[in-house]
Amino acid sequence: MSGMESDPVLALSDFSLRFAPGKNLVDGVGFEVRAGETLCIVGESGCGKSVTALALMGLLPVPPADIVSGTALFEGRDLFRLSEAELSDLRGNRISMIFQEPMTSLNPAFTVGDQLTETVRRHRRLPAAEASAVALDMLKKVRIPAPEKRMTDYPHQMSGGMRQRVMIAMALANAPKLLIADEPTTALDVTIQAQILQLIAQLQEETGTAVIMITHDLGVVAEVADHVAVMYAGHVVEAGPVEAIFDDPQHPYTIGLMGAMPSLGRRSGKLATIRGTVPPIERMPDACRFMPRCPFAQNKCAEAVPPLAPVGDGVHRAACWYAPLEKHFAEVA
Amino acid sequence: MKDARPIIETVGLVKQFGGRRQLLSRSPVVHAVNDVSLRVRDGETFAIVGESGCGKSTLGRLLIRLLDPTGGDVIYKGRNLASLSATEMRRLRRELQIVFQDPFASLNPRMSVADIVGEPIWLHETAGKKERREKVLDIFRTVGLRPDMADRFPHEFSGGQRQRIGIARALAGEPKLILGDEPVSALDVSIQAQIVNLLEELKERLDLTLIIVAHDLAVIRHMSDRVAVMYLGEVVELAETDDLFETPLHPYSQALLDAIPVPSPRARSAQAPVRGDVPSPTNPPKACRFHTRCPHAQPICSEVRPVLERADEGGRQVACHFWREIQAAGSSARAPIAASANFETRLALYRARQSGGAAPLKQP
Repeated sequence: MSGMESDPVLALSDFSLRFAPGKNLVDGVGFEVRAGETLCIVGESGCGKSVTALALMGLLPVPPADIVSGTALFEGRDLFRLSEAELSDLRGNRISMIFQEPMTSLNPAFTVGDQLTETVRRHRRLPAAEASAVALDMLKKVRIPAPEKRMTDYPHQMSGGMRQRVMIAMALANAPKLLIADEPTTALDVTIQAQILQLIAQLQEETGTAVIMITHDLGVVAEVADHVAVMYAGHVVEAGPVEAIFDDPQHPYTIGLMGAMPSLGRRSGKLATIRGTVPPIERMPDACRFMPRCPFAQNKCAEAVPPLAPVGDGVHRAACWYAPLEKHFAEVA
Repeated sequence: MKDARPIIETVGLVKQFGGRRQLLSRSPVVHAVNDVSLRVRDGETFAIVGESGCGKSTLGRLLIRLLDPTGGDVIYKGRNLASLSATEMRRLRRELQIVFQDPFASLNPRMSVADIVGEPIWLHETAGKKERREKVLDIFRTVGLRPDMADRFPHEFSGGQRQRIGIARALAGEPKLILGDEPVSALDVSIQAQIVNLLEELKERLDLTLIIVAHDLAVIRHMSDRVAVMYLGEVVELAETDDLFETPLHPYSQALLDAIPVPSPRARSAQAPVRGDVPSPTNPPKACRFHTRCPHAQPICSEVRPVLERADEGGRQVACHFWREIQAAGSSARAPIAASANFETRLALYRARQSGGAAPLKQP
């Protein structure tokens, strides 16, 4: 992990977003990611992880989206204050994004080579032949077999894993400072997922790109993250270095999530569950949003929002009034 | 396992799709399932695992005759399913039920959930309206749905609740065997755990046999007694769950297990993942279908098809020419990483609080 001294590539703070008047769908979220580092944002459907990424990329239509508050500092500029033209210059160039389903992100009517070449030419003033050479080079970098032949393929002629490789090639073609990957391996088989995760890690090592990886899979988090932010219902409920999150989970939601995951070891009883479901935004509690599902909930949890406060060494933070739990709750006999 | 008697047995099961004559050519033949012989024991949880296109869902559907095989037989409790008349099959259908992956696509949006769950009862029994309603509400309670929700429509439910409805519908026929085709893969982890626990409870309570078709190896490890690993339409390894996860014998099983991201940052795998993509099932490799990706492949692997042979006394089977050599060379799965003490303590508190009462707040 790089030292704390280096400036973050991206610093998001106090980000709140809503789609309709009323409660914020994403509420007061902040995180930082540094060069060469991978931040994993983990959470279940509806926690706000993808919508946060889209907002960072300027890909949310405003309205209906309403950015209530927040700054996203990237290379000295606030992404939320940039014009569409400025954002267009950044996207695919300084910041890139890859999505879960590569088929819907690639244009089915153009060859893979054309799409890659266009990405290069849009941001670098290169003659067509040179841009095409860069594109081919990227296909080699993402280890697509027979890249010369693949340049003339259409997306439908490729497998899911190959398409995701093309997306990665396209995202990294202009050596971005920041790559946002939204569930990049969720649609892939597990052996292909392993290949893609390894590929991203290797390319990141070569280029020093900062990566924000959005995922619901704690296994993926453990495999790739340097830092982790756990999101629940639009709040970051726990954040810290990956070892701290796994060895010393503090928030009841993090604990429940980990306990709900079947382990790969010998079976040890029933899985833990998190009771109920995420309430719809109109019925979201005002203070701690996890309260209705939390087995530790107390009156205080309904009264005031627990701040994301340091636990342990200070880098690791959790938003729970009762962390660490064993200090506040008597052990079971 | 209470009983090693097979409830379902397949002999040389083959399923091909396509191959139909078109205007000028034939459509390509997809070899979805190729020569599969296995036995599912009464009362066990039997898992079929593999990646997309390996034929696991097709095999599952053949087992309960939602698909008719191209060749081979499925024998359920001593009766060959292929020889049954439509009427007999319909009568048997209630014993062989299925829970689908996508709980939304598999529920009729225009029917109330009480009607959805009540339909199998209506089809199979002469129960009156009132009796049927009672039964439906009873099943609702069994799967953890509030009876007062019975007259709502599928869109009013969350994903996890919809999957409970799907399970309720399967239970309505009072089945002996339930096939779960990726029953939890569309759900969030916390909801997934609820459904996994529910399926296990029901299996115990109702004496069911479960066949779980899934790609998620962690879910399979947790739920199943035995596992069949499939690759491109063939079973390459069949073993007790713990044996498979601790000492996988087939190179593909090893590759599959190595590829799972382990939920511990200290267990990051340094190994290179298995190379290449799964070849197309319209044109599978000759002989051993895994030889194009196998790190141990020898010339014989592309010439002679390895048969599923016994690998121990317990009925473990593997289809590889070199499994003994590979095993002797010391292959094994990554050792599971023990959870941290802090996590264990807090999870114990969490479970205690959730089950009610225990672990009270300490007074300052």
